[in-house]
Order: sequence, then C-alpha cells, then structure tokens
Amino acid sequence: MIIKDREEVMDNVATHEDWKVCFSQLAPGLLLFARQWLRSSADAEDVVQEAFVRFWRRNHNIENRALLYATVRSIALDFLRRDNRRARRESDVVSEIEHSVQPKFTTEDETQRALAAAVDHLPDEQREVVVMKIWNELTFIEIGRVLGISQNTAASRYRYALGALRKNFALQ
Amino acid sequence: MNDFSELESELRKLRPAPPSPELFSRVERALVDVAEKNKSADNVVHPDRFRINWVSLGLGLAAAAVLLIVARVEINRPAKEIPAVTSLTPMPRDKPGAINDRLMPAGFTQVVYNTRDEGLRFADGSGQPMRRVRYQTHETLQWRNAATGASLRVSYPSEQVELIPVSGQ
Repeated sequence: MIIKDREEVMDNVATHEDWKVCFSQLAPGLLLFARQWLRSSADAEDVVQEAFVRFWRRNHNIENRALLYATVRSIALDFLRRDNRRARRESDVVSEIEHSVQPKFTTEDETQRALAAAVDHLPDEQREVVVMKIWNELTFIEIGRVLGISQNTAASRYRYALGALRKNFALQ
Repeated sequence: MNDFSELESELRKLRPAPPSPELFSRVERALVDVAEKNKSADNVVHPDRFRINWVSLGLGLAAAAVLLIVARVEINRPAKEIPAVTSLTPMPRDKPGAINDRLMPAGFTQVVYNTRDEGLRFADGSGQPMRRVRYQTHETLQWRNAATGASLRVSYPSEQVELIPVSGQ
C-alpha cells in the first residue's frame, strides 16, 4: 500500500502535499546533521535534497529514520571527499570564520550562543550522536544503525559528550 | 538516573537554523524530474554488481574456452595421427568401454585470500546504500584425461567486487 501511495505522489508531485509535510518536519534536523561535515548551509542543503529525493523515490518507509540519516551521512561524506574539503575544514581559522558567518542554530542570547559553540567543539563522533539524539530524536538503536555501532556505544558517546558539554559550559 | 536532564533541556531550546525557502522548490523540482524520468526510462536494472560479475565471468569463460580448445588440439592430434600407437596401449581390464579419451573437467577451486570492506556506496542512479566488498581470489581449473592420465591445471588471480544492499531496519 505504501508503494502505491508513493507512486501516486510521484505522479502528482507538483500538487501532492505529503512529501512537503515530511520534509518540513525533517529538514531542520537533517540540515543540522549534514552541517557537521560541510562548511556552508548551501552545501548542506544540496546534500539533504539529494538524500531526501533518493530516499523518497526508492519508496523507503519514512519511519525508517536510521536509513534516511545514513543516506544523508553517506552523501555528505562523499561530498566532503569529492571536494577535498576536509583539509579546509580542519583549519581552525577557516572553521572559526565559518561558524561566525553561518550559524547552525537560531540563538536568542549569549548563553545559547556559548552552548551552540560548545556543541560545535565536541569531537566529531560525539557531536553526531548528540545531534541525532537531541535535535532529531533518534533512539540509541537507530543511532547505532546509522553509524554502524552498538546502541551501548552510541549511548556511551552521548554520555561523554554531555559530560564534556557540562564541564565546558560551566566554565564559561 | 539521568543527571544530564537539565543540560538536555537547555540543548533542546536551541533551534536548528531553518532551511532556505528555495530548498522546498528545489526538492519539488527534483521529485518532478525523477517522476518524469521514471515514466520515460526503461525498467531494466543494471546494478554494478551484475556488471562487474559479468566482466569477470566473461573473462573467465573466455580463458577457459581458449584453454579447452588448445588442450583438445594438443591431446587429440597425436591419437589421430598414430592410431597404431594408441591401439598398442594396454587398456584397463575392468571397464574398457567406459573411459573417455578426452580431457574432462576434473575440479575447480577458488581461494579467497583477501576480503576488504570498502564502506557504503551508492550505485549510479540508486538511492539504496550498498556496502562494497572487494574479494581477491586465486582460482584453479583442472582437466583430466582418464584414458591417458594426462591432466591440465590452470591457475589465475581474480578480483571480485560485490555490492551488498544495506537496510537500516
């Protein structure tokens, strides 16, 4: 039934609203997830668009969030490799400029800006777990599937990340 | 039990930056393009897995065919040219009529000596993530002529790439 419905959507995509509902709910979290590896929000939007279109046209169940996030992650990492952006990303100077020019969060005060900066400075493997858990509400089982790790490892990375955040944030 | 609840609450107050308005129209255009392509394109699927396997299979079969032809020429020619010699060869007593005087396939072995997982990939035009695994093998083909006891063995290295569909659930 799902496939039939999806084919109907694909046939009438210009007028059908289903994908828009899904996408409007998922897009902010997906963009934040993709931004971890990409320098600009425009690149992240390219990646999210490609991942969502692939996911949608393959008739995957939208409840299969682990596969959707794995798709975004894979495309983002391919994008990173293809354009050799990792080296530039690892440059502290460029990274600082990037963070200041294109914020990943809409912050309301200095405290929130400091917290967002603390999240940015987490190690990659911890930050991606936090992003999936907090702003995308994935379970540790789903996070484990996205990253190819056990749910215990995912939970452990999450605890380490929050511990680091609390320590760093308390100092500010 | 969860002593991070206050910090989690603070984190959730941070709102991810919203997507640009153009993103929705770009996704919509992409979905329309996909729908139109689906209507016009053939439904023939050409996954990389089959293409790669066909190449190695084709090469293997071609090599085997050449070897068989060469072997038959080399083995059969003396028997036709000097039938007298053949007739002088003592035949086994137990099953004289059952022995086929030709090289017959006698065995095939494939030893995988290296397997490398190359991570997730997307085949061209496919949204399905796949894990690419590369196998390096050593294959050996054997033929035996039961009448003369002659045998032929050919060994060659081979490499195969397999794309294994990955499902999150």
